[in-house]
Amino acid sequence: MQVASNYIDQILIFSIFALSLNLLLGYMGQVSVAHASFGAVGGYAAGYFALSHGWNVLLGALVGALIAGVVGAAVALPALRLSVEYLILLTLGVSSVLLGLFTTFAQLGGTYGLIGIPPASIFGHQLLQTTDWLVPLAVILAVVFLICHRIGESPYGRVLKGIRDDDKATLSLGKNVVLYKVVVFGITCGLAGLAGGLLAGFNSLATPSQFGFDVSLSIFAMVIFGGTGNLAGSILGAATVVLTKPLLEWAVSLAPETAALWRLTLYGLLLAVLMRLRPQGLLPEGLNVLKPATWRPSRSTNGSDEIVPTAVAAAAQEWETRLEVGESIAQEKQRERNWSDAPVVLEVTNLSKRFGSIVATEELSMVLRKGTITALVGPNGAGKTTVFNLLTGFIAPDQGSVKLNGEELVGMKPNRVANAGMVRSWQDVRVIPRLSSLQNVMLGVQDQTGEHLGPLFGNIPGVRKREQTVRETAMEWLEFVGMADFANSPAGALSFGQSKLVALARVLATNADVLLLDEPCSGIDTQWVDAMLSLIEKVREQGRTVCIVEHNLHVVDRLADHTYFMELGRITDQGTFQELTNSPRLAEAYFGTV
Amino acid sequence: MLAVTFETVRQLIAAGIVNGSAYGILGVAFALILGVTGRFHYAFGVLYTLAAFFAFTLFDRVGWPFWPAAIVGIVITVVMGVGIEAFVYRPLAARAGSNALLAVFVAALGLGIAGGNLIQIFWGAQTHSLLGISISPINVLGADIINIDLYSVIGGMLLVALLTCLLRFTGLGRAIKATRSNPEMALLIGVDPARIYLVVFAIASFLAGFAAIMAALKYSVEPTMGFRPVVLAFVVAFLGGTAKSPVRVFLTGIGIGLIETISSIWLPVRWTQLVVFVILVLYLISFSVNRTVFTRLSAALTGRA
Repeated sequence: MQVASNYIDQILIFSIFALSLNLLLGYMGQVSVAHASFGAVGGYAAGYFALSHGWNVLLGALVGALIAGVVGAAVALPALRLSVEYLILLTLGVSSVLLGLFTTFAQLGGTYGLIGIPPASIFGHQLLQTTDWLVPLAVILAVVFLICHRIGESPYGRVLKGIRDDDKATLSLGKNVVLYKVVVFGITCGLAGLAGGLLAGFNSLATPSQFGFDVSLSIFAMVIFGGTGNLAGSILGAATVVLTKPLLEWAVSLAPETAALWRLTLYGLLLAVLMRLRPQGLLPEGLNVLKPATWRPSRSTNGSDEIVPTAVAAAAQEWETRLEVGESIAQEKQRERNWSDAPVVLEVTNLSKRFGSIVATEELSMVLRKGTITALVGPNGAGKTTVFNLLTGFIAPDQGSVKLNGEELVGMKPNRVANAGMVRSWQDVRVIPRLSSLQNVMLGVQDQTGEHLGPLFGNIPGVRKREQTVRETAMEWLEFVGMADFANSPAGALSFGQSKLVALARVLATNADVLLLDEPCSGIDTQWVDAMLSLIEKVREQGRTVCIVEHNLHVVDRLADHTYFMELGRITDQGTFQELTNSPRLAEAYFGTV
Repeated sequence: MLAVTFETVRQLIAAGIVNGSAYGILGVAFALILGVTGRFHYAFGVLYTLAAFFAFTLFDRVGWPFWPAAIVGIVITVVMGVGIEAFVYRPLAARAGSNALLAVFVAALGLGIAGGNLIQIFWGAQTHSLLGISISPINVLGADIINIDLYSVIGGMLLVALLTCLLRFTGLGRAIKATRSNPEMALLIGVDPARIYLVVFAIASFLAGFAAIMAALKYSVEPTMGFRPVVLAFVVAFLGGTAKSPVRVFLTGIGIGLIETISSIWLPVRWTQLVVFVILVLYLISFSVNRTVFTRLSAALTGRA
């Protein structure tokens, strides 16, 4: 019984480690090979306070968790903009520094660590035997599981998955990516600290090797085995890794020493083989052990441009009939007059940006007017996409001003620009592949109660109610673009045309006044182009302000109320599309001199 | 601090250059792999260790002369490095697509863990001596070092010079550089990136093997001998720049070695091991906080706009 409960206790403790790392790695996509060293922060704190101040180890573990959380949040700051290989290196460095620090201080026992930590007690009951630990550890694990589940499987977790798969797209939808990263690093490292404190209390010692780099790696392995993005999987992964040793001792009757070596060898090899055969882990993301319906991956009909959503077909039909009517020059003049009568929503003045000696944008001034579509055309390399990046805060301009309804946007981070009411789409679509179409659009909805930790834990009914309305709003926009039938398909399985529609719905769902659409029609089939055009026209009818960057002159001709022509970072001409096409300059830029 | 004599400083500088050239060689190898192939080759440390163990076994147990044993040890390492790329990393990366880096890292991690433990299972956890070359003290510019130190520094410099020439003056070198800057474009001009990757793994494994034999001669052969030098190699590769010339990476390694030894004037030895990582973390912070400032700064420093 003692032996069995010893292993069960270890599984419970390592499950806490694995759950918290999974939140970081599986949900937010941030690699850390330093998780055990954050456990060391908790473990050493618990041991130190117990030995020198006579504290209860469990209280020390909580304090240790807080310290580890603060350290973790601090580590997040340099980690914010690092790619995977740099993150691996950074966390490797952090792990070495933390462990090195603990080994260095004589007060913490140097290389020997802290030994003889007095037993923990709960309500005056001392935890002396391994069996005494079972219930407290199980309760703590349950609480940690609920915390991780609440964060991961909620509107909050949806944002985390957005950050994991495409942090730029998530940022452009108005999510404060920086804050999410710092908070989640803090929380997960804090939970690792808690686990470390418990481990120190359970073993009555806190040593450098107990939290060494190989322990970090084995926690990493637990998460990978169990399945990234699946919390139940992490518990399974922890059990698998912990139990290999006794299984080897028992089944192959190896000596404990050799069994330990074979265990590491085995799980190392398993890790390599698993990456090849089942990279998603034992329990893939989205699988719920309690719901058999989720056991098989949804083999939803993979999107293909041949499956045309009904709304798309209808829109194309509508355009066919309208083509026959045609548009006279007089009508176009009328559109231009309407354009100059409409109030200015976005005013860009003297915007300039240089990259070294290359002029990306020079003294660019333009206006977007309410309820109209403005097109930005120009040859490749003219700097059109750069303009979108400058307007939305992805690139800071050297000088100039961007005013949205009078409010200065220059200097704002992209998420603040989106919050202020201007949202851009991406030339390369950037839907979140592992989220469903519906979830993608839900990510666009602003002001979600469940995206803040306070209400997430403090106002559960409020979060649920808001989530319901978010879902309804998102569904409406999916219906608007004609993709309602694909609501539950993963966005990664959609065809290019379909994903462009979902991306449009996502931008629309932000409720932003100003929409900057980067090549909304490039790379999609003709019938889809017509659908996309009708949709953008409908958006104009709703009174929203649209600016498109587009190469397809047919598209510009049909949509634009006003057109700016851009060359080498400067706006060199503007007017109606007809006026521009008659100017030799544009003809030259597009078709070369005749 | 003021009591430091000129003698001590000279000795520390010598030791820093000796240690640093080992970090440098490994850093060059790791940077070549990461820069060209994009694989975070964590199993590198195991290959390093294996070179030493095979050389030791052939020399000490089988009774071969030292040089053939060392060369066969290095060759085995090269074969294994190439094999890992061909049979583990490449199929994995092909399948994982955009997640290739993480998938390869996890597999490499697995191989690293498994390999390190297999070495302990087969050879035991003991420390062995590789007495292939008799050690004799020599004096270089007033600093007392041993002959092996001199061989490893000169050998390291020669290898780095050779690699630099290879990259700069040969068709193969240009193909490697083309693959490093853009594999798809390289394919268009008739370079097969898959083959180049294998060549890169061979070169890097050779360098690691050389460093391992030198370390084994100087210190000892033990299962954990690969961990610290290889972690430092990661650091050197990143600080030096994975797409930069081997000379620069090698000098970064020597710089790290010097920082480590010189800082021992002011810090207790157990702290000096931390200094490198503190520098790394600070570097990454500055790198992350203001990437643009940093690139401008390094461009100005290296004289390239």
